Amino acid sequence: MIEVDGLTVVYGRGEASVPAVAGLSMDVDTYELVSVVGPSGCGKSTLLFVLDGLLKPTAGRVRVHGEEVRGVRRDVALILQDAGLLPWKTVRQNAELALRLQGRKESADKVLADLGLAGFEKRFPSELSEGMKRRVGIARALALQPRVMLMDEPTANLDSITREHIQNLLLGLWWEMGFTGVLVTHDMEEAVFLGKRIFVLSARPARVVEVIENPGMGEPGYRGTPEFAAQVAHLRGVLGGNGA
Amino acid sequence: MRRTLRQAFYYLLAIAVVIGLWWGVSWLLETVRGREILPSPGVTFVAAVENIGTLASAFGTSALRFLISLAVAFLLGLPLGLAVGFEPKLDRYLSPLIYLLYPMPPVALLLFLYLAFGLGEVVRLVVVVMALFFQVVVAAQGAAKYIVPSHVTAVRAAGATRGQVYRHVVLPATLPSVLTAARVSVGLGITMLYIAETKLGVLLGPGAGLGRFIEYYTFRGDISLAGVVGLALLGLLFYVVLELLERVLCRWKFVGARGGT
Repeated sequence: MIEVDGLTVVYGRGEASVPAVAGLSMDVDTYELVSVVGPSGCGKSTLLFVLDGLLKPTAGRVRVHGEEVRGVRRDVALILQDAGLLPWKTVRQNAELALRLQGRKESADKVLADLGLAGFEKRFPSELSEGMKRRVGIARALALQPRVMLMDEPTANLDSITREHIQNLLLGLWWEMGFTGVLVTHDMEEAVFLGKRIFVLSARPARVVEVIENPGMGEPGYRGTPEFAAQVAHLRGVLGGNGA
Repeated sequence: MRRTLRQAFYYLLAIAVVIGLWWGVSWLLETVRGREILPSPGVTFVAAVENIGTLASAFGTSALRFLISLAVAFLLGLPLGLAVGFEPKLDRYLSPLIYLLYPMPPVALLLFLYLAFGLGEVVRLVVVVMALFFQVVVAAQGAAKYIVPSHVTAVRAAGATRGQVYRHVVLPATLPSVLTAARVSVGLGITMLYIAETKLGVLLGPGAGLGRFIEYYTFRGDISLAGVVGLALLGLLFYVVLELLERVLCRWKFVGARGGT
């Protein structure tokens, strides 16, 4: 369960201050996967960084499983936009990075194998395709066995085939592992495909302008249905009306 | 393996070219001036063999001196440079100071260095360390300033402490640039070593470093020149060692895109 109440984030101080998020409130139920969309630069990533405990809110409250977020939590994992792989670490070292930083001894080998990366453990990121790099980024988050998964545009800048592949993968993992998920994206089809509810944010400073219920979500086949197309069209209309 | 052999071949080729050029210049000078000005490679080689004991001792002493100086310069300069480059606050306060001290040649301060460190081994090391130290600091600072922010976010998002950020991101990200800078400064370091050994070693014997060896045999051109060759080989040795170190420590830099799905 994630509860965000009146979240405000202001970067900088005094005259140079820039409000990124202004009085944003949202709730995500346990085991729910929601997507967050909004105009580019509206503060979507800022919201995720606050949920992860990387950024302190200027005002408002953020609670995960009933506890106030005061720093990076062990049960929350963040998948970064470009996977955030360190070029000097091998695939295995990258996948186990978060574990090791938290002083945990577990291996990421099984997660890597599940994501089709067996045999690549000793390769460096520069030897991988973009799609594989994203999967290593996902493996790093999964290795933590998190209860909450935060995803910052996990398929940005991928070709459409690889993008759908990663989207299907994330959907499958959500079914299998049962995490509470927040997916930030600027891809409307992705938002509809992966969000049980879709939170539409305003232009900066971000606040929630509409929440779209999306009960049909949950199956890979959803993508081909008229309902899916209608939801995408609706979302496009909302974002268009919102000045995106 | 093939790559290493090819590299070794190019080094041998370069040595052959240098010997060829040396021989040509030596011959030319002798022909024009009517007497030996620059001893030929052959004569120098014979002189080196005749004095091999002293020369080896001088080479060993200089190599050890340079190795210690390089290690100390790294141990002191690397943490300082990385911290100044990575922490904006330190950058603001310390960068002007570094840029002010950086161009100052330690040789110009010899008198004060004598007074501070005496006439022993320490002062010779200090001069070389001072020269290399600023090279390392400036290189590390420059590299740490341009670390990719998402690499830092990646470790901070997993709850990394400040120390872990340095260990997992700052140090490995900057190591290639720092090692390159170290390689570039080998030339300067050898020059400083020569100065330290000649200016600060007048009372020592010819085996107390290549600088002293060259100075001691000033009036025996062939032997002296053997010392100069030793100095060049010393530079080459450290250059190669640093390159090998980069290949081992920064292996990721040397792998190409192999693709995949």
